[in-house]
Amino acid sequence: MNKKKNAIRIGAVEFRNPVFLASGPAGYGLEYAGLIDLPSLGAVVTKTVSYSPRRGNPGRRLRETVSGLLNSVGLENVGAEEYFAEKLPPLYDAGVKPVVSLAAEDWEDYRKLLELTARQENVDVVELNLSCPNVERGGMAVGVDPDLVRRYVRLAKDILRGAAVLAKLTPNVQDIGLLALAAEEAGADGITAINTVLGMDIDTDSGKPVFHRIRAGLSGPAIMPVALEAVWRIRRRVEIPVIGVGGISSPLDAEKFFLAGATAIQIGTAIFYAPGLPGEILSALEERGIPAPINLPD
Amino acid sequence: MNRIKSLFRARVLRHQVLTPSCRLVVFDRPAGFPAASPGHFVSVRVSDSSVPLLRRPFSILDLTAGELILLVKIVGRGSALLAGANPGDGLEIGGPFGGTVFEPPARGKAVFVAGGTGLAPAVFAARTWNKGGLVEEIHLVHGASTRDELLTGFCEKDFSHVHQATLDGSAGFGGDAVSLLEKLVNDGVVPLDALFSCGPRGMIRALVERVGSRFAEHHASLEAVMACGVGACRGCTVPVRENGETLLRAVCSDGTVFPAGDIAWEEWED
Repeated sequence: MNKKKNAIRIGAVEFRNPVFLASGPAGYGLEYAGLIDLPSLGAVVTKTVSYSPRRGNPGRRLRETVSGLLNSVGLENVGAEEYFAEKLPPLYDAGVKPVVSLAAEDWEDYRKLLELTARQENVDVVELNLSCPNVERGGMAVGVDPDLVRRYVRLAKDILRGAAVLAKLTPNVQDIGLLALAAEEAGADGITAINTVLGMDIDTDSGKPVFHRIRAGLSGPAIMPVALEAVWRIRRRVEIPVIGVGGISSPLDAEKFFLAGATAIQIGTAIFYAPGLPGEILSALEERGIPAPINLPD
Repeated sequence: MNRIKSLFRARVLRHQVLTPSCRLVVFDRPAGFPAASPGHFVSVRVSDSSVPLLRRPFSILDLTAGELILLVKIVGRGSALLAGANPGDGLEIGGPFGGTVFEPPARGKAVFVAGGTGLAPAVFAARTWNKGGLVEEIHLVHGASTRDELLTGFCEKDFSHVHQATLDGSAGFGGDAVSLLEKLVNDGVVPLDALFSCGPRGMIRALVERVGSRFAEHHASLEAVMACGVGACRGCTVPVRENGETLLRAVCSDGTVFPAGDIAWEEWED
């Protein structure tokens, strides 16, 4: 069997196949070592890191919904320094291809984060999280404004010389295609779509919102059609690769994203309940190849 | 890299109905299923559909050469589906998960307080420690709303003494398990070497605030809503005081067992 048959390229980076784990659910990767064959995947996009460690949000962080999951974790992470020293090297040692997810924070912290990232030897691809709905500053606040998206992507391209830069976008906007275009104009090598959809829940016993920050991010099968539409919309606007993510929960779902024009896909919430899914999708791709995109009318 | 496999398909062998809402679900232990300790849990995919979505965590009640036994209380759709699984059905099970476990007490005498399905790790500890000759004496304090909901019938022989409480006073002590333990301590009935608790958050907090400090040590196995079960998603964090700092620890991978007195209850919002 030709092992390179399903290899894909984003920017200058080659991935062995187009099936990735999504940032957030994937943690730092190796937590799933007993559940998922990580080296067989195209990549693992690790939990978003910020320049300084983040404690994340207080109060309840998870609430299951009908076919979905609300979360308000709030980018809890160990901070970039510890991440690069402790979390990333074991992934390389294990033969796993990491994509480093970076938080868009205050401009100065963001610059320091990029500079620290640029000093790492092995990092050849990053995903900018321009779209986390669960933080006060940075995150989605950046990702809804095309001018800010342009500035953040350009700075990343300037500082991370040679590394591929993916921009992860939020669906919580009027036209995600415009934001993808802004990222492309600024030099992004790929677009990841989508991050979680804004949602909330109320506890009817207490009469209070379930989450401390009231709003939370919805993921899981419930948002798959939203993600698929976003990929289709972005595909019409930009030439760079689009990585589809959002509620993929079967090999057929994955096929739909490729048909809509995605170059790769990411599996997020599904690994919580079906850790075997990435392997099933890989098997389907081995058998039938990556489906070619169809021509969709506007 | 931890390469020990932790995803299995397990077949339901039988059920043992304990009370109107609780039962033991006995699985055929899958080939290669690793050894486990009291406080470890498994997560069970109760349905192939997306409702309910997440796997459900259950403490291991016992793990023998041939069987994996869970204690299931029907509280919602997920637990109802598991309770309704038929003998012969195969379910996907992840585990055993968990970092810290109940360790046998240094001085050989243990008191367990178990609320609801918190009984599972207590029974697993008693069976494991008795088998290994690691304890002299194990007391169980168990509370339920009413006589029909008392769970201890099947496991009385695992403990040296079983102390029962019912909220309506229909059997045993009239009141909750925490009040019963207070009385047992005041009356000098239970040894004060080591307290082990497992059950709802409110029960464990009440134990800490009312009686925990009378014991030389107090370890609690916590319950939480979980998504990944392996420490990746940070969805099940609990604030724990360590070296003067309050850190967020994951119940699934840093727990399930914590020094109960170190939990920062005032910061643990629900």
